[in-house]
Amino acid sequence: MKPATDSSTREHGMKTEAKTLSRRGFLQASAAVAATAAGVPALKGYVSSAHAAGVAQQAPITSHYTVCDMCFNRCGMIAQVQNGRVVKLDPNPKFLKSRGMLCARGNAAVEHLYDPDRLKTPLLRKGARGEGKWQQLTWEQALDHTAEQFTRIAEKYTRCGVMFSPGSDMQSQFLNRFAEVFGSYNITSHETLCLLSKNRAYLDTFGETPYADVLYSKYIIIAGANPLEAIITPDTIDLMEARKNGCKIVVLDPRYTKTAALADEWFAIRPGTDMAFFLALTSVITEERLYDPDFAEKMLFGLDEYAAHVRQYTPEWAAGECGIPAQDIRRIAREIAAAAPASMIYPGRRSSDYEDSTQIRRSMAIANALLSNWDRPGGVLAAREVGVRAPYFDVPWYDDNPADRIDHGMAPGLIHHEGSFKLMRDAIIKGEPYPIRGWFTFKTNFMQTAANRNKTLEMLNHLDFVVNADIVMSDTAWYSDLVLPSPSFLERNDPVSALQGSSACACAVWRDAVVPAMYECRDMLWICTELSKRLGFPESFDFTLDEYRKSQLESIPEAFEAIKADGVYYNPSKVYGIYFDSPLKTQAQKIELFNQRYAHEGLDPMPVYKAPRRKEGAFRLVVGRTAFFTHSNTNNALLIEFKDENTLWMHPRPAAKLGLKDGEMVEVESSAGKVALALRLFEGMEEETVYMATGFGALSPELRLVHNRGASIAEVLEDHSDFISGNMAMHETLVTVTRRVG
Amino acid sequence: MKKYAMVIDSSVCIDCKACMASCKVQNNVPRGYWRNWIKHTIPDFSKGPLTRTHFQPGGCMQCDNPTCVQACPSGATYKDPQNGIVHVNEALCIGCGNCIKACPYDARFRHPDKRVPDKCDFCFSSGRLERGLLPACVDTCPTKARVFGDLSDPDSDVSRLLRDKPAVRVLAKGGIDTKPNMYYVAATAPTDWAGEVEFPGAFTVMATLVNPVVKVAVGLSALGVAVMWAKQIFSPDKEESEHESSAPGKD
Repeated sequence: MKPATDSSTREHGMKTEAKTLSRRGFLQASAAVAATAAGVPALKGYVSSAHAAGVAQQAPITSHYTVCDMCFNRCGMIAQVQNGRVVKLDPNPKFLKSRGMLCARGNAAVEHLYDPDRLKTPLLRKGARGEGKWQQLTWEQALDHTAEQFTRIAEKYTRCGVMFSPGSDMQSQFLNRFAEVFGSYNITSHETLCLLSKNRAYLDTFGETPYADVLYSKYIIIAGANPLEAIITPDTIDLMEARKNGCKIVVLDPRYTKTAALADEWFAIRPGTDMAFFLALTSVITEERLYDPDFAEKMLFGLDEYAAHVRQYTPEWAAGECGIPAQDIRRIAREIAAAAPASMIYPGRRSSDYEDSTQIRRSMAIANALLSNWDRPGGVLAAREVGVRAPYFDVPWYDDNPADRIDHGMAPGLIHHEGSFKLMRDAIIKGEPYPIRGWFTFKTNFMQTAANRNKTLEMLNHLDFVVNADIVMSDTAWYSDLVLPSPSFLERNDPVSALQGSSACACAVWRDAVVPAMYECRDMLWICTELSKRLGFPESFDFTLDEYRKSQLESIPEAFEAIKADGVYYNPSKVYGIYFDSPLKTQAQKIELFNQRYAHEGLDPMPVYKAPRRKEGAFRLVVGRTAFFTHSNTNNALLIEFKDENTLWMHPRPAAKLGLKDGEMVEVESSAGKVALALRLFEGMEEETVYMATGFGALSPELRLVHNRGASIAEVLEDHSDFISGNMAMHETLVTVTRRVG
Repeated sequence: MKKYAMVIDSSVCIDCKACMASCKVQNNVPRGYWRNWIKHTIPDFSKGPLTRTHFQPGGCMQCDNPTCVQACPSGATYKDPQNGIVHVNEALCIGCGNCIKACPYDARFRHPDKRVPDKCDFCFSSGRLERGLLPACVDTCPTKARVFGDLSDPDSDVSRLLRDKPAVRVLAKGGIDTKPNMYYVAATAPTDWAGEVEFPGAFTVMATLVNPVVKVAVGLSALGVAVMWAKQIFSPDKEESEHESSAPGKD
């Protein structure tokens, strides 16, 4: 079958269908609608049965469960296929984690699948990097070439001389396995530009990464997060449901986001001062003894030290730092404490903001501890048991390998299996402690998402061989030596994936191909299997996907039938009180307000406020995204209609001082680079802050919708990093803004 | 006899555009055009921490007094007595564009390829209702701000919502009540955005007097066809999208 790529084909198919509807058929179905609309939410029940049955049309539509891949959330969806084409994607109503919804991106996955800019064959670079001269290769040639290059690098520079970057994907576990068996410790991923600071902070406070029980919360402070635009399931949906049930939402953000627009209160906090607010908030809670003494006695470690520590951080002091009036800080502290334990500081997700981000997020985690919300309804929860196991594999020992990862010891709280892209890039450029000469990236686009693009380009000069597997010619692919075409998520079978959704669910899903893979696209399991044969470790990939799934579900065999029947398996595992009678995984076995390990390593054991840098005439650049795009995945014909380029947001007052007008082109300059884009004057900005959305100004001409449209955050952001976790710090760049001349 | 309607709780709309994307895919709405929208209030930043924005989803209101139907000289646009949906029979349409002007909600646009009006039909012609599926925008909505159902069924979600909560409708300016079947749970905003009904001069009297059968005859008469074709050829398309809130975003 040769699927057409012209979108008009789809239109014709649908038009024919529209005209062949019979009146009788409609009335029958209308009865079904009416019957099922009664009482229960219409969403549940009849939709899935209709999907399952299908209705004979001129060309029948068949329905297939799958799981979205337009972002990391993996929402359950039902693909409708007609004449071998995906014509519509609907939410799976039985999918509790996403509350039976599909966002704009999920709907636009049809355009992702049929994107005319998709990679179609393996391509080998012929000219200089970034010149865009390519030679088509067969897969045989592409795999042979990759194996040759990896072997050559391994022999000369050890196996750690190849860096691996598996993106957020259900098949990334295969590339991880491949990297480990091949023998490289140097694995890093998108996470090091994203959530590591928050994870570090909660691991070092609670011994766990947190899941927010938004639905049952009565009072939520959201700082350093924008969950109504940066959609995270079920939190985004649950926030609105919680509000209906009377939950109060307070947002601290230098930008009037849509989360701010729908909150009960929004404070345009000065950027980089969140910690001042939370230290003051906790000083009120400790001073006025608004915490639960029994919980404190049983669960908190270092409360007395902490109470003494934050005495200096009064609301009056904090007001001078963060710009939020002292009486509001005091009032909010009392309100949220009164609502405890069903109240929380929302942990957020992307926390790649400041050099002090781990400590900033620790100050929020400690506030949660003082609300005694840990492991309780409406609070911050531990991970639930899903039951999906990671299949075992042998990792061989290579004598000539260096002792550890290239970035080992460069940050005290490095998360070992993720490392730090920023620190690795610096090390590669320096060639110390040892050289890295090869890079395998899969579905991740550091050229567009990592701060300081010029440094990424510089790093490429130190690499002999860069291979990239992706669905389109991303900026990273454009600068690679070999590009491998990946199938979209709708065209492949994927292993089981375990998902957490706080009290909503702990579930398992997989993907079966909805349509066959187009062009010469091959999935990562196939690529790893083929490469393992060429590199002498075929036994590490001697399984079929079915066998792999069986091994994953060994302890929950009932999941097979559930996933087949409903597209998802739920484990009715314990939600609350997981740690009721067992110690926490921290050194003190309690919630560590005072972190002993930090003290031992010379770090501040309790968060100490450091005022953000300021420079006369400069703005702090913050970045973020809309609900329509995930990171640099902007080349989508439907989604681009919602936003076709990014602009620089600035408050009208500082703009007036600079003589800048709404809509004119401005240059934004940092020590890392300079970009030009249109100015948008917006009163919903803190006056020292400017904002740019991510994902625009693509270098790759083969991303036709976003090539040179707007500007790239990667080009202008300086590459700072979180001192503790090594996570990229994307809000530490001070920029000047001037009118573009000429 | 059904009466399909939508009841919208706009207070939970997060402006994520899922409804617009879902509709566009389901109904093959061409690039640059939309069958539905999300409007919003302009935030008043003088309110400081209490500054808010209200987002309001919408689409064709499937009016009981559909001025688009009255403005149509050929009978192509009609209200389905079986379910209350206002349809366009593309085969009968002469492309005059009168219905587009007669809609105070800007719910119609001229399809750039087919040269006929295009609008929301609660996903009827896409076959969703026949297959027992909710309209695409309703099905996909994350916060279930849009609720769809049959008002003539007292047990439907829409009937229940209207019983439980006070609702308002967005009405046309200029005194003509088109009797829209899109209800907003009270405290929605904005509510003053609808325009006036604009009937084409020559048809105003005729359209309200002549019965549909005659309208078809008139519409297909040689003169009518010639005039309207000429009009279609010479009148420029309306520039860009109908709704400010739906225009490609540079923000």
